[in-house]
Amino acid sequence: MNWQSKPHTSPSRRRNSSNILFSTVFIPVPKGRTLFAVWGKFYAFTYRNFIFAKRNFFAFMEILFWPVVGLLSVGIMGNFLELKENTLAFVLTGAITAGVLQVTQLDVSYSLLYDIWSKSIKHTFLAPVNHYDYILGSWIVGMMRGLIVFILLTFFSQKAFGFIMPVFFATLIFLGGIFLSALIIGMLVCLLIMLYGQRVEVTAWSLATLLMLICGIYYPINFLPQPLPLVASLIPLTYFLEYYRAFYGFSPLFSHSLLTGLILTVVYIFILFRFLKMAFARARRTGIILRLSE
Amino acid sequence: MAQVTDYVIVTKSVKKTFSSGLWKKKYTYALRGVDLAVKEGEIFGLLGPNGAGKTTLLNIFSGQLLPDAGQVWVLGEEITKYASIKIKTRLNMCSGNPNFPWSLTVEENLKFYALLYGLCTNDCRRMVHNCLEMFELEEFRQTKYEQLSTGNKQKLALAKAFINKPEILFLDEPTLGLDPDIAKKIRELILQIRNENKVTIVLTTHYMKEAEELCERIGFIKDGEIKALGTKDELMQMTKSTNLEEAFLELAE
Repeated sequence: MNWQSKPHTSPSRRRNSSNILFSTVFIPVPKGRTLFAVWGKFYAFTYRNFIFAKRNFFAFMEILFWPVVGLLSVGIMGNFLELKENTLAFVLTGAITAGVLQVTQLDVSYSLLYDIWSKSIKHTFLAPVNHYDYILGSWIVGMMRGLIVFILLTFFSQKAFGFIMPVFFATLIFLGGIFLSALIIGMLVCLLIMLYGQRVEVTAWSLATLLMLICGIYYPINFLPQPLPLVASLIPLTYFLEYYRAFYGFSPLFSHSLLTGLILTVVYIFILFRFLKMAFARARRTGIILRLSE
Repeated sequence: MAQVTDYVIVTKSVKKTFSSGLWKKKYTYALRGVDLAVKEGEIFGLLGPNGAGKTTLLNIFSGQLLPDAGQVWVLGEEITKYASIKIKTRLNMCSGNPNFPWSLTVEENLKFYALLYGLCTNDCRRMVHNCLEMFELEEFRQTKYEQLSTGNKQKLALAKAFINKPEILFLDEPTLGLDPDIAKKIRELILQIRNENKVTIVLTTHYMKEAEELCERIGFIKDGEIKALGTKDELMQMTKSTNLEEAFLELAE
């Protein structure tokens, strides 16, 4: 008998007929996964990150302290330099973006780091989870925290510095752009950790800052020394910032900023998910997940 | 050669080497060609000295490690480069010195893992409740993991390993570092799990008493190779020993 071709069927194997109906008839979900199970796995990471955020004093500081301090510093400096209304709006947009981006991407990066710090990563990946479950599940909490930071910083900017948001719809798109950029940065951090282990965990806090420096967070990118403007043109956040700042009367350096930003985002997310899948396959070969649990 | 339909785990010439060092590579040969078959419903023990390859083999069975050479079939499916989600839902693992998210309570930890295994709403609630009851963790349900005693941490590890009602349960030194009375309780729980749920258990241990009490068949592994395989009596007969400890020392030489 060919023992490779005959699947083992255990009598204790359980099947839930209603879930099978859901997965095969109504909802197109990956083979072997039901709709509830797919959502449940996203939700598992959302649930865990939310509890961590709720109980962790640092998480509270990340939302309230650093973004507000950053905004006030920039705003007061703007007043001291007697910036015009639209120039002040330019730098305040940068300060708000910096706060929201950092908080949102941290949650995606934390999806792996929480497991590494508690040395429970092997239990997480022993479970039937895909690499996108933990990324997307954590991103949901990141967006929730990012939204709180955004509301808070916009409110402070309005009250303290007379900052006025442009069209609501444009703000919504810009916020979506920041969230997507945070997803990319968080995924990049996760990829680096999967490849090089805990020694690169510092990228969770530094990578976003570095990218913000290049994509012209407080200045137009043509003020950057060569070849940084070229590097900036490869970062989606550059285009989202430019799209939003155009509403304050700044002429854009690139045409179709929003579209270019979105296309770059989709390409990077696709590539990063592929790389993460390969990194997880490599991790099973090298045993890095098990080493990170010791 | 064992047929995959008769056994839940079959390995064929499994080899695994770990490398370390960036420039000057150092190689550790963890497994040097393991052939093994585990029957459905049995408690199979892996014994061997430190560094013999027990945990590596268990991690390969559970799909957390890929072998460099050879083949592994678990529940009829071959372990390949990309982990099969379908197989993972049917396995679980518990190890000695467990670690879980420290600021989550016992109940939250179980809920988190139940969700990871695809249990939702009522199934999740019911399974978490059952596990809390079965592993006598009800009074600690609101206790954070970091505040649990070592024994209760191990009970939580077993409860987590049972959250998806696995068909195969891997136990990596489940009573490591526990007091004798708690270790006894854990062994009773393992037997209870097996008897009530017909789950196949593969366990590694350094305690001969544990292997004697629990295992129906034992594989003795040394230097990444299975040196002996059989029931406790067969191993003792093979080594002309009067107990398992003597057999272990004989085989380890």
